[in-house]
Amino acid sequence: MLKEKGQLKFEDKWTYMRPIVLKLLKQEPVSPAEWQELFYDVHLVCLWDEKGPVKLRDHLHEDIVQFIKQAQNRVLAQRQEEALLKAYIAEWRKFFTQCNYLPTPFRQLESSLQGKTTSASSSMQSNNNSKKGPIDESIVRKLMLDSWNDSIFSDIKHRLQESAMKLVHAERNGEAFDSQLVIGVRESYVNLCSNTEDRLQIYRENFEAAYIQSTEMFYRMKAPEQLATNGVQAYMRYADAKLREEEARAQRYLEAGSNGVIQCCVKVLVGNPLSVLLAECAPLIKAGETERLQLMFRLLERVPEGVQPMLRELENHITQAGLADMVAAADIITQDSEKYVERLLELFRKFSKLVHDAFSDDPRFLTARDKAFKAVVNDTTVFRLELGTGRNIGGKMVAPESKCPELLANYCDMLLRRTPLSKRLTSEEIESRLRDVLLVLKYVSNKDVFMRYHKAHLTRRLILDASADSEKEEDMVEWLREVGMPADYVNKLARMFQDIKVSEDLNAQFRTSTARHDAINIKILNAGAWARGSERVTVSLPVELEDYIPEVEEFYKKKHNGRKLQWYHHMSNGTITFATTSGKFDLDVTTFQMAVLFAWNQRPHDKITYENLRLATELPDGELRRTLWSLVAFPKLKRQLLLFNPPATAPKDFDEHTTFWVNQDFALIKNARPQRRGKVNLVGRLQLSTERSQIEDNQSIVQLRILRTQEAIIKILKMRKKISNAALQSELVDILKNMFLPSKKMIKEQLEWLIEHKYMRRDDDDINTFIYMA
Amino acid sequence: MADENDNERMDDNQKSDKMFTLKKWNAVAMWSWDVECDTCAICRVQVMDACLRCQAESKKDSYGKQDCVVVWGECNHSFHYCCMSLWVKQNNRCPLCQQEWSIQRMGK
Repeated sequence: MLKEKGQLKFEDKWTYMRPIVLKLLKQEPVSPAEWQELFYDVHLVCLWDEKGPVKLRDHLHEDIVQFIKQAQNRVLAQRQEEALLKAYIAEWRKFFTQCNYLPTPFRQLESSLQGKTTSASSSMQSNNNSKKGPIDESIVRKLMLDSWNDSIFSDIKHRLQESAMKLVHAERNGEAFDSQLVIGVRESYVNLCSNTEDRLQIYRENFEAAYIQSTEMFYRMKAPEQLATNGVQAYMRYADAKLREEEARAQRYLEAGSNGVIQCCVKVLVGNPLSVLLAECAPLIKAGETERLQLMFRLLERVPEGVQPMLRELENHITQAGLADMVAAADIITQDSEKYVERLLELFRKFSKLVHDAFSDDPRFLTARDKAFKAVVNDTTVFRLELGTGRNIGGKMVAPESKCPELLANYCDMLLRRTPLSKRLTSEEIESRLRDVLLVLKYVSNKDVFMRYHKAHLTRRLILDASADSEKEEDMVEWLREVGMPADYVNKLARMFQDIKVSEDLNAQFRTSTARHDAINIKILNAGAWARGSERVTVSLPVELEDYIPEVEEFYKKKHNGRKLQWYHHMSNGTITFATTSGKFDLDVTTFQMAVLFAWNQRPHDKITYENLRLATELPDGELRRTLWSLVAFPKLKRQLLLFNPPATAPKDFDEHTTFWVNQDFALIKNARPQRRGKVNLVGRLQLSTERSQIEDNQSIVQLRILRTQEAIIKILKMRKKISNAALQSELVDILKNMFLPSKKMIKEQLEWLIEHKYMRRDDDDINTFIYMA
Repeated sequence: MADENDNERMDDNQKSDKMFTLKKWNAVAMWSWDVECDTCAICRVQVMDACLRCQAESKKDSYGKQDCVVVWGECNHSFHYCCMSLWVKQNNRCPLCQQEWSIQRMGK
């Protein structure tokens, strides 16, 4: 037996094996016995004939090539495109199926061939490998695929691709056909590849490349034609539809994971006519055509730098439309904070809606919107706030700023104070409007101005007990904290509330301490939280008031140690009864008004000169003029409390000989009829500061900004030790943004100042780098 | 109650025939520590504000700064009580005049 096998030659066995192999290739039926025989014979050849494996492989190769040649002839016999593809796919499918069967009997061959090239141990390993993936590693399979690739494929791939692309082209033109044909060709390209590292190599280099090329050709023709005949807007719809269509088509005909064809479509459909499309952007935004903008956004988003110009258009439009609106309504909104804020909010809502509807709140568009809002809010064409009133601070001019924060604070006050507006609104409405204020405030760059006005309004409300809802007041403080207002500022507001409560307790104690004092309420407040500089105004109080002072002070001394009291009569106020011959009225007045009016108590019917009133009250000139004006020309009164002569049109027109007397015919007019009794509030807007201190106030804002800027620069330098000018500027803006936007000029001045005072120096090598000096 | 008071005063008013009579006065005053220098030399914060330490702890609920009172020494120099009580642990002299520190009075 063994001996017989020893003489076994490849040539002897091949004659038996070959017919079976050929049957397999042609997919003709093979009996189990033949199938077994083939296994056995391969085994024998590999075992006994030294040159067997190589010969076996070569013969096998020859047969495979032979078979492929026949298949090729069958395919090329087809003239017509569709038939050609059909034939090719059929042949290929058959062959590919055999690629999975034919290698099986030859596994022995494979390990022998591998054993020849590698050492015994690694052949063991490769056996293991072949167990792991017999098909992947199969030499015979590779042999089959490579042969197919070399012979049939290289010869007819151009015809194949051409035919396939013609079909796709036909589909693009709306003709139906069997998509399986194209898919079949594509599959053959993919499966054909025996390169295990990149299975898609052949597919990509041939099929996909041809696909992309034909697609590009198609749209290069079609796109300009569409644009020319149907116009831009119709073209956008066309491009959008085609892009979707191509995406779906690519999914059908191309392997997943490749984006080449879509990129190519985008380039041809959107990239090439980009400027024409963009020219359409501004008019669409202007007309608020959200659907078309949506479409445009979808298209332009696909090309690099496509969205940028849209962002610019949006920002420009909002800024311009916003400012135009403000300028058009300048007359109303400069007078009326409510109208201003509401107008502004209406604008914001309108444009936010546009960004939402057209651009689905894409973050880039939101940023552009915010930039534009900032520009509108901080614009100074409609109204400006001159911070450097009077003298310039330290010889420096201060650029005008938007009045927006002041108006916002006024609006806030209208919501929080007991006003017709706050009475009209429900608690929820007030809350949502306060939130709106905070929203606008976000865009304001000089927030410190808002803080100043807000604090002043709060002071008035607390002192006059005029808050509509004290809970809302405290909520507002927390909201301000939430939106990032500086902690020291918010804490100061919170302290004012605490202080008012402390003061209420004190007042209750004072009033129970003696029964006589039911006509007086005291508010003794912490100067640190409330007062701003030394802005007290002296006044000679009427005896009725003066009497209380020592008692209050005595009481307070018993309660507290080491404190001194300063009376803020310009903030105090009260109610007096005014009795005329015909009627009796309750007047809410300031203490200054009281001081003036009480001068007539001794001589009710006298005419008193300005000079004598000044002597009686000891009020400073400006305050006395202002107080008198509020009594002779109070806007809400038809009959004024005091009359005067000679006529004057403004407080400054009074001279020392102007005489004043009490209007004995004073009456409140209701429904055109004089009332004999009633109550009227003459306090108006409670004065918190004198004219002089108002200027100081403005200056203190500027001064505080300078300090804050210096502080922030030092803080940054301390941390960084060394920093470039550009980095410093951006960090600085970041630190200060919740208070104000530092101007380049001011930063530069403060840098110079700090350098001069040896807090820092410029780098010797680079003047744009700063170094901290401890 | 308020009405009674009002009526009483109305009666008063009729007796005294003054043209203007006081009905209610809401008097406003500000208090501050009675100090010579309004900055605490130890923490460099105004004595009317809470000292740095208390600000950092931000005692919000307990009536804010009432806790951070002022103290006067025999030398009449004044500081935050919090600042001074830490200071004397190191050095029992007034930081400003170097006199031996003894408390003259405390703010309340």
